[in-house]
Amino acid sequence: MMEDIYAELLQKTATGDQLAFKKLYEETSPKLMSLCLRLMRTEALAEDVLQEGFIKVWEKADTFTPGKGRALTWMSTVIRNKGLDKLRSLKTKAAETEIQYEGLEFASADLQPDNMEDLSQDVKGLMACLDTLKPDQKECILLSYYYGHTHQELANKMGRPLGTIKAWIRRGLEDIRPCLT
Amino acid sequence: MSNVNNRANNSTKRYQNPELFEQLAIEYAAGSMQGRAKKRFETLMETHFYLRAVVDAYENKFATLVELLPDAKPSNQVWAGIESHIKASAPQEKKTSWWKTSFFKQGFGLAAMAIVVSAVLLLNPMTVTPTSYAAILESDSNVAMAMTKIKKSDMTLTVDIMKKVNVPDNMELTLWCHPKDGGIPMKMGTISESGKTNIKISKKEWQNMKDVGFLAISIEHINDNKIVKPSGKILLHGQLTTASLN
Repeated sequence: MMEDIYAELLQKTATGDQLAFKKLYEETSPKLMSLCLRLMRTEALAEDVLQEGFIKVWEKADTFTPGKGRALTWMSTVIRNKGLDKLRSLKTKAAETEIQYEGLEFASADLQPDNMEDLSQDVKGLMACLDTLKPDQKECILLSYYYGHTHQELANKMGRPLGTIKAWIRRGLEDIRPCLT
Repeated sequence: MSNVNNRANNSTKRYQNPELFEQLAIEYAAGSMQGRAKKRFETLMETHFYLRAVVDAYENKFATLVELLPDAKPSNQVWAGIESHIKASAPQEKKTSWWKTSFFKQGFGLAAMAIVVSAVLLLNPMTVTPTSYAAILESDSNVAMAMTKIKKSDMTLTVDIMKKVNVPDNMELTLWCHPKDGGIPMKMGTISESGKTNIKISKKEWQNMKDVGFLAISIEHINDNKIVKPSGKILLHGQLTTASLN
């Protein structure tokens, strides 16, 4: 696992260590760019968000508390929230996408053992919780998280009534709550 | 006007129901809360710190999903932009000094400043036995929320909550002193949601203060006397330092 290195790099970043920050960027930006691409739908916007997000990481690194979470997790929350703010301000519509990321194959249950080794216990635990849901419910929740889809967009995409989508997500999250705590 | 106030009060009451706010927090963290409901919830999070704490916990859970994503290398321009921003801001202090925080903007900081300055000027930790300790307790979003003083002269621990912390029904705030080297914290007692709470401390508790690293206020179920460490969310926390207090 690389996680301890990220935490150490982030803590060094908090002291103003620019080399550590660059190393942190090099190590984590491919995953975080992938998240930005899904959320923002265009490469230009994704790179804007990634850049603004990393600047925020630089400025707020001293608020990271290792005992309360892992560095990559903390950074992805900072950057995802930046992306959501941007989406809200731009009111970007799904129709404006230039990049298509339709599937969720990367989050499938058929992950190869090699890939599984690199995953933290936390994400394995989360996936185990999500696997207890009906496939459609799990798909809605993951699409909502990764792509920031609205309920209406999910309804359109999945060809289901809006009320059904809302109920799936609400009940799905309600059902996994005990599993997550 | 009274109808508006009633609606606001009822809305706040609703969010103090643990079942409801847990569900809303997980919906927010998962990204499924939208539109006006999301804005309303974000406004409430600004003042209801337990909501922020619960959301943070769920956001941490969902954020692990980033691990599953395939890598996508950004262009070199991204780092160039970040680097130029860092260099442009380099002459300034990288980190916002604690005395520039909202704590001071709120006017709560002068007392803390006086404590820290006097601690620096008057105390030499190598040679002087401390007569007081102090801690500024912050929320997860690094907003200073409370001031804690522990004085040997009257063997009293005082917590002054500057901004009311909204606590759900059937729950209360509990103060803990965590040892520097880890281990079981000292449970100091229940804290009022706003204003000052004075707690008398024993001689043994005073002696133990020299080994305390940080203080934390957690949210616990009322009358749950058996807990020996925080079982609920930590809402506020801060380092304990020696001080010189009157």
